[in-house]
Amino acid sequence: MSAENPAAPTVTESAAPRSAAPMWIIVVTLLLLFLGGYYFDQHSGWFNAKVYAPYANAEKLNSFQPQSGETQRIARGKFVYDSVCGICHGADGLGKPGQAPPLAASEMVICKGVSRLAHIPLAGLNGPIKVCGKDWSLSMAAMGAALPDEDVAAVLTYIRTSWGNQAGPVTADDVKKVRADMGRNAPALTGVQLLNLPE
Amino acid sequence: MNPTENKSSCANEIDASLRVPLLALFGGAALWLVVGLVLGLIAGIKFHAPEFLSACPLLTYGRVAPAANDAILYGFCIPAALGVMLWIFARLSQMPLALPLVPVVAANLWHLGVLVGLGGILLGESTGHPWLEFPRAAAVLLFAAFMLIAVSAAATFGWRKERTLYPSHWFMFAALLWFPWIYSTANLFLNSNKVPRGVVQSIIGWWFANNLVFVWLALVGVGIAFYLLPKIAGRALANSGYAQFAFLTLILFGTWCGVPVGAPVPAWLPALSSAAAALTIVPLLAILIITIKTVCGACVSCKGGPFCFVKFGMMSFILSGILYISAACPQYSRVLEFTWFGVAQTQLQLLGFAAMILFGAIYELLPQVMGKPLPFPKFAKAHFFITMIGVLLFVVPLLIAGVEQGMKLHSGAAFADANAVALKFLRVSTTGQLLVLLGALLFAANLLVMAIQWKLGVIKCVIAYIKSPLEASETPATTEVKS
Amino acid sequence: MRTGICIFMAAFIALGASWCGFVLAPMLQLGGAKQTVILQSADNWPQQRTGEATLGLQVYRAYGCAACHTEQVRQTGAAFEVTLTSLGTQKAADFKDFIKSLMVVPDLATSSNSIVGSLDKWNGELPKTLYSGDDGDVASALADHLKPVGVKTETRIIATGPDIARGWGSRQSVAADYLYDAPVQLGSLRAGPDLANIGVRAPDANWQWQHLYAPKSTTPNSTMPSFKFLFEVRAVGAAPSPDALKLAGAFAPAAGFEVVPKPEAKELAAYLLSLKANVPLYEAPFTPVTLAK
Repeated sequence: MSAENPAAPTVTESAAPRSAAPMWIIVVTLLLLFLGGYYFDQHSGWFNAKVYAPYANAEKLNSFQPQSGETQRIARGKFVYDSVCGICHGADGLGKPGQAPPLAASEMVICKGVSRLAHIPLAGLNGPIKVCGKDWSLSMAAMGAALPDEDVAAVLTYIRTSWGNQAGPVTADDVKKVRADMGRNAPALTGVQLLNLPE
Repeated sequence: MNPTENKSSCANEIDASLRVPLLALFGGAALWLVVGLVLGLIAGIKFHAPEFLSACPLLTYGRVAPAANDAILYGFCIPAALGVMLWIFARLSQMPLALPLVPVVAANLWHLGVLVGLGGILLGESTGHPWLEFPRAAAVLLFAAFMLIAVSAAATFGWRKERTLYPSHWFMFAALLWFPWIYSTANLFLNSNKVPRGVVQSIIGWWFANNLVFVWLALVGVGIAFYLLPKIAGRALANSGYAQFAFLTLILFGTWCGVPVGAPVPAWLPALSSAAAALTIVPLLAILIITIKTVCGACVSCKGGPFCFVKFGMMSFILSGILYISAACPQYSRVLEFTWFGVAQTQLQLLGFAAMILFGAIYELLPQVMGKPLPFPKFAKAHFFITMIGVLLFVVPLLIAGVEQGMKLHSGAAFADANAVALKFLRVSTTGQLLVLLGALLFAANLLVMAIQWKLGVIKCVIAYIKSPLEASETPATTEVKS
Repeated sequence: MRTGICIFMAAFIALGASWCGFVLAPMLQLGGAKQTVILQSADNWPQQRTGEATLGLQVYRAYGCAACHTEQVRQTGAAFEVTLTSLGTQKAADFKDFIKSLMVVPDLATSSNSIVGSLDKWNGELPKTLYSGDDGDVASALADHLKPVGVKTETRIIATGPDIARGWGSRQSVAADYLYDAPVQLGSLRAGPDLANIGVRAPDANWQWQHLYAPKSTTPNSTMPSFKFLFEVRAVGAAPSPDALKLAGAFAPAAGFEVVPKPEAKELAAYLLSLKANVPLYEAPFTPVTLAK
């Protein structure tokens, strides 16, 4: 009956813990923490949203990507175009009246050289210009300035090969060269400056 | 008055304040336990005879199986745990339960919520997220009921006369915070009109399930065990320095488990979970040491008494924890995932650990709270042995089935072969389910007869009071009803 | 740990940390996910389901199909595979010798044992896998060295693992596959086979209906309960219904009767047919068979 004595709890409970945890278990914890950290470092891809097990990291994943062909560049270009350029120039490349000129069949896009074209997204374009026989007054920001060279090249290749356009591809090296010529933080071009540039 | 008398009259007061809330919580819980185990048995039989009840759209395997799990967890484990927690809080605080009417209302709300939830699942209104199947109406009821009980428990804790904190306090106090947080998060994200896109749902679901089924049950079960083991053994909790360490590491590392190793989510999530699972060995180790040192050498001879229940529960906890951690280990996970192994671990956690400890606690506290012995003490002892054998028969074959099935699947065998291997083990485990159900019926019989006896007693007193108001004004039952 | 406040703070910090890690961070990282581009194609992934299939997802949820079926394919590794598809004018024996002579090339030296070993018992049948391993440089070097000799090879990236070998998918499942699922039902037990690619593996709606109506009629050793209540057995009217189930033998209804799916069965089957995760993505690359040819 003593076990069921209602007053019993006080006997044992008054012995509140005073002693600290023993050293060895703290050492075990630290050891496991270290091993856990090592495991995380080796297998987590460091919070990269695209790295899934069994790929240990982004580098490993990249080594398994198919060789980047033209189709893939264009696919990437469409993706970038739809998320950056398409809002004004339209998914069909026809532009927006009074705001953004068309890209389909535009002489700026399908010209032979690519340097002049590459300047537009990298530097931006302000003021009056004539496109497809119409006068436009533009204020386009340097939309491509923050994109990597590969993406700018991909998007330019995309617009040069879509909607009936049939011009050659733009490479990342082309973009890199233009970027180097321009220098950092170049001001937006005007229509006249643009036309003075070599194709 | 001498101090002993003073103390025991205080204890009587505590017990009296708990009588109605605990009966309300435990009575419904016992019923849900039986309901859950019957549903589980139906689900189990479907593997031997696929056409069993297949004409009934209400009882497809996919409805019955989650309903069974939810009935056991939400119907039995949580309300029973809340009742035991209220009792321990009141006892440790050395004062009667604060706001005793609130838990009574809450208990009824809770059981109503479980009824709505189970009905919802069987009618096809499940949310589709494991352990969170209850539809919105049920979730609101459960949340409100839990908050009410938490208020009463927190008030009892805050106004305690005995100011020293005991290890059980930490575990249970954390459990009070845990449930509202995880349950509201999970429901707001997964059970609302605007759910997050894609696998974020699953990630939140895993977080919730881990924190409820693993961490919450561990907090409550270990908290109860750390109170009952020393109390029944009549000695202090051994190595109490470990207890604080176990508590802190459990809540620090245990909460990060739960994301399966190869899940279709960015690698950092499962990597973090696996690392955390490895660290969860530390609290398990500490809890194991405390339990062994408290239990060993204690001169308690109890053949099937509460002590046995709690001991078996703690053994199951350690085993279930080890299984849980091993399933989070990448090498084993490849073999064990998607097999019966996970089901076995969950059932061991629910029935072998949480339910066993709660049975023990209820058998221990009920005679004290009600002021009279159990109506069928032999049933209680039989309950222990039947449930122990039942749980082992239920879980061990499933574990073996899981490993065998996993090895087959991992070696690239055809799916049908792997499935056939598991089926023969399921035969045995269904026998175990049957035994667990039998045990639960004995438990429910004890509990319900006690409740009915008590109600009859109250009615008798009321009648006596009406007949002769002057003489009967001092009966204990009526004072208790007023409080 | 002397006061309630201490316990509260400890629990609050511990749970709050994991909340930030497993609720907030995934929300920020994946909650705003959009369609992604399919590798080497201009198409987006995934496509929105049809209305019927979207309703079917709810049928799948309501009957709890996820209790027995998973919707996720696992992958244990990835490999480059160089396959010999044509010997051109070469003879098999000469080709073997040529390969042996190639192995001194530094690019290939590290994998020479496996490449030569794979040809030991080869007697000329094609296609023949020459190299399978995770070193992309070895694979491309081997292909480059073989190009000038007039044999044709094909280099593919493949996902490996028991699920892939069983034909349950060509790559592992990734987050993008579930973009339009609400709820996402990944499943955790394979009491039945995985369904991540069931729309590729069993693309016929009538097969799906038969399987739901009488699982053993299509899969003799199935342990799935039948879902007969999703179907209606009725007398054949003026003309048999085009949707009538093609049941045979013991499963067929009595003469003059036909089994037709109720709307729920049609929706469920439409959902199952929409389950396809068979395109290469950046995060789960592989070379599709159709592209490689």
